[in-house]
Amino acid sequence: MKRVYIAGAGIISPLGRGLVATEKALRENRSAVRPLDLFPLVQGRPLPAGQVSGLDEPGPLPRTHRLACSAALQAVADFGKPPDALILGTTTGGILTTEQLLREQEQEKEPYRYHGLHTVAEYLARELACTGPVLTVSTACSSGAAAITLALEMLRSGRAKNILAGGVDSLCRLTYFGFHSLQLVDKGGCRPLDVQRRGMAVAEGAAMLLLTTEKPASPLAELAGAGLTCDAHHPAAPHPEGRGALLAMQAALSGAGLDPDDIDYINLHGTGTPENDLAEAKAVHSLFTPPPPVSSIKGATGHSLAAAGAIEAVVSAIAVAKGLMPANTGFQEPDPALDLVPLQEPANRPTHAVLSNSFGFGGNNGSLIITRPEKFPLPPDRRPGSGLAIFGCSCLTGAGDTGATMTGIRSGIPIAGTAPIDTISKDLPPGLIRRLKRLPRMALSLAVSAHKDSGLKQKPMSVFMGTGWGALSETYDFLTRLGESDEQFPSPTDFVGSVHNSPASQAAILFGATGANITTSGGDYSFEQALISADLLLRGTDKTALVLGADEGHATLSPLLDASISPATSLADGGGGLYLGRLREGSKCRVRVPFYQNGLTDDAVPALIDSLGGQRKLQKECALVLAGIPAATREKGERQLERFMDLSALPVPVVRYRQYTGEFTSASAVAAVMAASYLETGLVPGALVQGDDLILAGKQNKILVLGMGHGLSVMEFSRP
Amino acid sequence: MSVRERYGHTTATNHDNHSGSKNMNELTEELKAKLIDILNLPDVTPNDFDEHAQLVGGELGIDSIDVLEMVVMVEKDYGIIINSQEVGEKVFSSLAALAHYIKENQPGSSS
Repeated sequence: MKRVYIAGAGIISPLGRGLVATEKALRENRSAVRPLDLFPLVQGRPLPAGQVSGLDEPGPLPRTHRLACSAALQAVADFGKPPDALILGTTTGGILTTEQLLREQEQEKEPYRYHGLHTVAEYLARELACTGPVLTVSTACSSGAAAITLALEMLRSGRAKNILAGGVDSLCRLTYFGFHSLQLVDKGGCRPLDVQRRGMAVAEGAAMLLLTTEKPASPLAELAGAGLTCDAHHPAAPHPEGRGALLAMQAALSGAGLDPDDIDYINLHGTGTPENDLAEAKAVHSLFTPPPPVSSIKGATGHSLAAAGAIEAVVSAIAVAKGLMPANTGFQEPDPALDLVPLQEPANRPTHAVLSNSFGFGGNNGSLIITRPEKFPLPPDRRPGSGLAIFGCSCLTGAGDTGATMTGIRSGIPIAGTAPIDTISKDLPPGLIRRLKRLPRMALSLAVSAHKDSGLKQKPMSVFMGTGWGALSETYDFLTRLGESDEQFPSPTDFVGSVHNSPASQAAILFGATGANITTSGGDYSFEQALISADLLLRGTDKTALVLGADEGHATLSPLLDASISPATSLADGGGGLYLGRLREGSKCRVRVPFYQNGLTDDAVPALIDSLGGQRKLQKECALVLAGIPAATREKGERQLERFMDLSALPVPVVRYRQYTGEFTSASAVAAVMAASYLETGLVPGALVQGDDLILAGKQNKILVLGMGHGLSVMEFSRP
Repeated sequence: MSVRERYGHTTATNHDNHSGSKNMNELTEELKAKLIDILNLPDVTPNDFDEHAQLVGGELGIDSIDVLEMVVMVEKDYGIIINSQEVGEKVFSSLAALAHYIKENQPGSSS
């Protein structure tokens, strides 16, 4: 097992910019929560919020991007080279800008180009010249912690040596009015753990950690462990006993090889909502007897959602580096129901190990353990994974379900389009889906069908999902009703449904999947990123997982947001689902993602071929190439494909699968299911390869699914 | 300004669904249709909606998010603000209780 050091850190929050300003504000025990003035309100008095001051405002770049950039530049300031990889948690992306554009009824695409969650990390990657893997994670308020956890696993797996990881969110109408509609905002300011607490203060900010396995001269701290779990209980409320929270803390301790006694201070999630604080206190009490000093800093910062886990990781690093346990700002009166009195003043005391909690919608929980460098012995390594075995698969396209899709391809009937809502909801219990719109229904349908296809009784422990744009219907409907009602009547249902991880959390609830629950949103590479996340987090476990990829075609938003869709393009959507695990027995085929990078470099295509074992091996084993070239990057993609075919000299058919699926970001999930299904049957239909049926015999047992355009990726499917 | 002050003065004129002139039966039937609509209750018709059955946590699977959606509806369509959990628990215990509360608190009602 490798040690993972925090070599640098950057932070921008309502408390200020930089480690020095943050430490000073924490020592002063002051709250930065104040009435919102970032955007004008149609009516009423502004609610208290955690707003960042003094962020320069020029140009078209959304606020989220600028916050992230500020934190990232601080984190890498003393690091002489670009990081190998970048992993960012965010839920808002460019939505603050998009809200304004939609109000102005902007019809041009160009101003919306920074809407997508993935554009934040990709912008940072460009600024920092990072050409490696760039992952975007969106698991609501645990996003920052989830991003840092994935970075830890990627570093320990050896896939990267240096990773910039963190979280960011800007204030926006969606979250400001959304949490208000759930009656989760305390009009009197945020008072975590207090008996009078009435809720949170929605906030913004960013924090980034430069994580490395190459020991720096003076590391700030060590990232010793991390744990991710899911309540699988409710879309918005925590499990009342804090079941998932407890499991996350236990997983983090076990990952770090530490006991509860080793923890000197717990940095609580502590949002100030009655339910969160109660559930978290119960979880803390069931693991720590008695608990060490605890506090939540959200009375000072507010709740910066996807940034919170990263901001509090930086605060935890300050705690161990400076021996400073921050106070629970705003706390006055203990709540007997919690039986947990937090630090009321900052405490100066040696701090060796900190546990930091982040919980979010969808019951997504993340706990991080940050320690003094090399203070504790390393736990033994877990056995590394080498690809995943697929037991079941399913897809949805304009043609309908897996059967209809495969029949369509075999018969040369077009499969692109948007299937009717009844088709994508088939076999789903009506009570379960009554509040769900298009994307979560697709995700549930894919999940149920992939599991059913496996014939296995065992249920998945984890759910991973890639989605380029998330729940567009819910987001659009929320903003529309907000505008039409003059900001009086935003829909709580649409708000809960609008978060990117809502479909994956619905699947977790359906299957009782209490393991890690990750939603990635990496544009055209969203599904590949979900698969990479699954591969990283399923290390050393025999459990199974669902990996889904889906996007919905939305008549208004898809043509505005997706560069590959023009108003003239006929709308297409769908996705694919794989039910998989580590054990090989009984599997249809195997999958791995040996290569993914965000930027385009000269050596990318040769490196991709190397990752597959080189030209000779490929020629011997590869039977078919499914190439994903989004319309928006056709020229770039075709050049990459040409180079790949030149260098590999593969004499096999190449299928540009978007010609069949239509244009949508997670079309690669459909291609993945095509590959798995052809390997299972041993036959690629002639209609797909413009010739005779292709029999997969002997050693010719590999199908590649390439992702080309802004970056380069390959999913390799092979028979067991 | 409280939420109540903010919207309270507009309620008497702005809400076309104002129930002051409706009798209890009409209001109950109207609420059944509204709840089936806003909560997307599957396979439920106004006829088999038992107004005395437990509403939240009962057979219909109505939960905290639905309660918030109903709070918005009651405010928007009837001009009545429910902003405390204690009141909410009482009001949403059954559809009959909801109808009763609306009738009692309706601007311009005699009670």
